[in-house]
Amino acid sequence: MRLAESREQRELRASVRKFLTDKQSLDAVRVLMDTPSGYDAAVWEQASSQLGLPALAIPEQYGGAGFTFVEQAIVLEELGRALYSGPYFASAVLAANAILCCGDEQARQAHLPGIAAGETIATLALGADELTAEDGRLTGRRDLVLEGATASLILVTTDESLFAVAADAPGVTVIPVATLDQTRRLATITFADAPASVIGSAEPLVGVLDRAAVALAAEQLGGAQAALDMAVAYAKTREQFNRPIGTFQTIKHRCADLLLEVESTRSAVQYAAWAVADGSDELPTIAPLVKAYASDTFSHAAAENIQIHGGIGFTWEHDAQLYFKRAHFDQQFLGDPAEHRERLVQRIGI
Amino acid sequence: MELDLGPDIADFRADLRSWVAANAPAGLADLTDWQSFGVTGGNRPVGLDAAQADPRHQEWEQRLTDARLVCPQWPAEYGGQGMDGVRVAVLNEEFARAGVPRVVRGMGEGFVGPAILVHATSEQKAHFLPRIVSGEDVYCQGFSEPGHGSDLAAVETRGVVDGDQIVVTGQKVWTSGAAKANMMFVLCRTDPDAPKHSGLSYVLIPFTGPEVTYRPIRQMSGAAEFCEDFLDGVRAPLTNVIGGLHNGWRVAMTTLGHERGGRATVQHLRFEQEFWALVDTARKYGRHTDPIVRQQLAWAYTQVQLMKYSGVRTLAQVAEGRQPGPEASITKLFWSEYHKRLGEIAMNIVGGAGLVRPDGDGYPTTDWQNVYLAGRSGTIYSGTSEIQRNIIAERALGLPR
Repeated sequence: MRLAESREQRELRASVRKFLTDKQSLDAVRVLMDTPSGYDAAVWEQASSQLGLPALAIPEQYGGAGFTFVEQAIVLEELGRALYSGPYFASAVLAANAILCCGDEQARQAHLPGIAAGETIATLALGADELTAEDGRLTGRRDLVLEGATASLILVTTDESLFAVAADAPGVTVIPVATLDQTRRLATITFADAPASVIGSAEPLVGVLDRAAVALAAEQLGGAQAALDMAVAYAKTREQFNRPIGTFQTIKHRCADLLLEVESTRSAVQYAAWAVADGSDELPTIAPLVKAYASDTFSHAAAENIQIHGGIGFTWEHDAQLYFKRAHFDQQFLGDPAEHRERLVQRIGI
Repeated sequence: MELDLGPDIADFRADLRSWVAANAPAGLADLTDWQSFGVTGGNRPVGLDAAQADPRHQEWEQRLTDARLVCPQWPAEYGGQGMDGVRVAVLNEEFARAGVPRVVRGMGEGFVGPAILVHATSEQKAHFLPRIVSGEDVYCQGFSEPGHGSDLAAVETRGVVDGDQIVVTGQKVWTSGAAKANMMFVLCRTDPDAPKHSGLSYVLIPFTGPEVTYRPIRQMSGAAEFCEDFLDGVRAPLTNVIGGLHNGWRVAMTTLGHERGGRATVQHLRFEQEFWALVDTARKYGRHTDPIVRQQLAWAYTQVQLMKYSGVRTLAQVAEGRQPGPEASITKLFWSEYHKRLGEIAMNIVGGAGLVRPDGDGYPTTDWQNVYLAGRSGTIYSGTSEIQRNIIAERALGLPR
């Protein structure tokens, strides 16, 4: 395990950051919030073809770039920092890992190259809702499917199997729902005798969800860091009582506590990313641990950022609200912190 | 997972592991649990004094001394072997793995030595450092005063130059290890007319003789690990002033900056051990199935693991040659606040049983009662949590003073 970022990794971070600053600033995110799809297809195309972001952690034999999860975690942190709005997490994390871990060889060859190239946008429809599979036909529904209305390929798991369903197949109805966090898109998908092919086993799904938990924690780290940076920058310049509010101990101490949490999250995310990349047996414990802790950190940072900004902080026009809403989404998505902490104690044998 | 620190460090680790296997006296690891040292401000762990007095421990100490593995981070000319931070960390890991103790020289090694190495003359280094390595000089700290805790630069203890000597008079407080010390490093005011931070000197004074008296302060835990000290004209040669007269503030700050170091990857071990002891306690009282207790245990385990992950990251940064910054303040804030909370969780788990103390003279307590009570001091000594937050905010985040 090597924890220090290599030169290549630093360059990757810098180029992703520059790309997002240029192509998808928070102003651009606000514009996308009001569009039906919620994402910019041209930015997605460039992120795929020029930067190769969806391909990053997919093995070369399936059309990917063959880097590790450590590099992907760097990208995810930057996406979280910028509140990137688009199907990266759904396609390059959830769906790609589902196919890699659960899918059979034929499915990997069929679907991963398209996902790596960004030409196929896929998602994984998770959930506990009743779903029946008979003779290659699915009936039932899944709620809160990430990017469900954007994806052309929908992966669905039952207790036993992983299914692939084309979004435009007969019997598939996708209904987008209005999201509290407008930078993330969800949909309800109903399947009425929809044709589906079994492409693998659902047994390794636990590992997929562990990877996804670490991936989401990496995004949460970026969001938390951005919220802290905003709060600190404001505290240095905003004056009240003829002095910067950052001179007041109550502001300093709030920021110091946030830094402790953000730095601790960073250590955990780096360690967890290595655990994924190394196939370490520590993954089952660190995945719920880091998801719960990163959720708490991001929620705390986003909330404190509003408080430190005062009145402007709770307006629509200020970006603090965007991080607050994203923090809430990320906290609840893939299981809330209490659920992950319960999973953690079970997995350490208590 | 083990951090890949390159082939040189891997060789170093392998050599060290063989050396420990060949040189640790049989049975040393079983004398006591060397990795679990007590809660500062609480009762000393049972059996530690006896284990340290055992001939096998003394033999081990001699072998470490001969191999220059006491204060190994110091230059060879002063008794060490110039070991870098990464190797010291590996040394700590390997000793912990083998269950054998490091022989450490307390505040002499952690505080005084670093200040001497940075600020002292070569004559001073040659005189003072080997005496710390050999254990001849044992130091206690004379910083805090009854009127000045967090506002350290306001110390009033006077240092008056008298010929080639300095005469120190005043009162110090919160001194741990006073009974075992023969030397004290004090911060005293040598120029009363200069601004607060510029009139101080850092002096190594004898902590023996009729000019020195100290008295234990009994804490809420019942233990009396700290003392208050009365210095009534203690004389030391001017050559015991480190860093020059009136330059004591800078020297004292160096000291604090070196408080941690190579323990980054082992400091979580004792907390991890304590966590599993708490799990045993929860099972014993049938509380491990309570959903709220389970959340609390998950929280505690998370905090301990975060110490581990952060330690590994710090070590990776040290290996890259980056100087430690405000991590020391973050680390102190993290573990002391954690431990305070852990005491509360533990007492919640034991419930009514925690209302009752063991019988005996004085104020004996259970381990969890001790953690609960003594843990309150952790967020106060060595810089309160509020001081640590100020340091983090100003030095790491650049918030204005």
